[in-house]
Amino acid sequence: MSEQFLDVRGLHAGYGPVEVLHGVDLHVDLGGIAVILGANGAGKTTTMRALSGMIGRSGHISFDGHDISGLSPEAIVRLGIAQVPQGRGTFPELSVEDNLRAGAYIRSDTEGIGADIERWFTAFPRLRERSAQKAGSLSGGEQQMLAIARALMSRPKLLLCDEPSLGLSPLITQELFEALHRLNIDEGISILLVEQNANLAVKIASQVYLLETGTVVGSGTADEISRDDSIRRAYLGY
Amino acid sequence: MERLLQVIFNGLSLGSIYALLALGLVVVYRGTGHLNFAQGEMALTGAYLTWQFDQWGIPLLLAALLAMVCGFVLGAATEFFLVRPLGKKSPFAVFVATIALFLGLNSLDGAIWGGEAKAYPSFFPNKPDDFMRVFGAEWRYERFGVLVVVLALTGVFFLLFKRTKLGLAMRAVASNPDSAKLVGIPTNLVLMTSWGLAAAVGVLGGSLVASVNTNINQGTMIVIFIAASAAATLGGFDSPGGAVLSGLFIGVIEVGAADYFPEWIGQDLRILPAFIIILAVLLFKPAGLFGSARVERV
Repeated sequence: MSEQFLDVRGLHAGYGPVEVLHGVDLHVDLGGIAVILGANGAGKTTTMRALSGMIGRSGHISFDGHDISGLSPEAIVRLGIAQVPQGRGTFPELSVEDNLRAGAYIRSDTEGIGADIERWFTAFPRLRERSAQKAGSLSGGEQQMLAIARALMSRPKLLLCDEPSLGLSPLITQELFEALHRLNIDEGISILLVEQNANLAVKIASQVYLLETGTVVGSGTADEISRDDSIRRAYLGY
Repeated sequence: MERLLQVIFNGLSLGSIYALLALGLVVVYRGTGHLNFAQGEMALTGAYLTWQFDQWGIPLLLAALLAMVCGFVLGAATEFFLVRPLGKKSPFAVFVATIALFLGLNSLDGAIWGGEAKAYPSFFPNKPDDFMRVFGAEWRYERFGVLVVVLALTGVFFLLFKRTKLGLAMRAVASNPDSAKLVGIPTNLVLMTSWGLAAAVGVLGGSLVASVNTNINQGTMIVIFIAASAAATLGGFDSPGGAVLSGLFIGVIEVGAADYFPEWIGQDLRILPAFIIILAVLLFKPAGLFGSARVERV
């Protein structure tokens, strides 16, 4: 079997003595979008936090040919994985522009950073309008855009998005998924997306995983998943 | 007019010392959410070190710089060995640990340098006629010098916070430690640096206090630290600029109270009016004058 871009096998993780993930297997193709679906408490966020090195974990995680299962969050960002955390996780007391600068912390090319800020301001004009405003004063949708733009400032090869649609209106959610899809196509950034509201997510996905109580209980291409009646009823709700 | 100016000059100089220690408190609080009760005694230890290096024949300025480096190491070590392991368990454990450090450092200083006050060298010319006359009031060079040093350092801190990558990292860690990690900021290193910088600034403050007092003893920093905590509270614990302004304000009020009401306030109660004003302000603005009440979307 050839090595995947992101390859996760037998991932165990949890908080202190409580194990949440009991051997998760998944992978993300280079240039692909993989989606993890699951209910509250299935372990979606835990999976994301384990992948970015925020919590203790064991098992096999390789990314772009590197074993990252024992690396610090900092080292993982430097290898090219950026995470948009659940609940957006902006720096509320910092200005929008400073949020973006903080996102580029691992870089030292001042000019490139300036150019990237300009670029994401162009892609998300609302952020330019509010560049000097504190991030905490933005609306939910704007903060989500900011969180994504901030993650992109590290020039990632793989973007981990933890429930970006949480708390957003359907219209804003739609815009958001379009933005993610464009990033994937135009910039070639691979994406691993966690979602509870699955319909939009599955539409842009190349690979879908179903997570239940800490294990992957099903997987397939987006087509296979939406053709399976029982899965469709349980996860897509129609 | 002359008298008022005199009060303002002396008050600003005293207040600038409060400001310096308050600045250290705020830097630590913003970064870690802890109030460092040992800040004053770290400053005392550093001030003793300055004295010791001076005694060994090292030029005074160099001695103070060396002491600041030692203070940096002491602050960073405190974060690494006490705050970090205890903070994971309980914020109250850190609270108690910094109080223990307060008492421990004070006793240690007493054990090493003795209970007797030691004559302290001056950083600025301090002969009786070393002053300039401004509209009739005397502004002594040493007091003026202290103020200039503090304002310059505040400016440096402001630039550090706003213009440097380290400052950006410090603000990011203070704002959202989890997200700071996710963007690749080495948060532990940043926190250690914050504690180190705060302690180093405190050491400079302690050395300046002892220099203006012309002597140092075990109790030198205690009242100063209380006033500095008050300044940080008044300014709002997350506002470096607020801490400095409040420190200066408290200094002026304190000197003014003693000067204008020698009968019923005098030297013994001089700090009291400032505290009454602070309490009154806090009743209306609990987050302090310049502090931000934390806003969180849920």
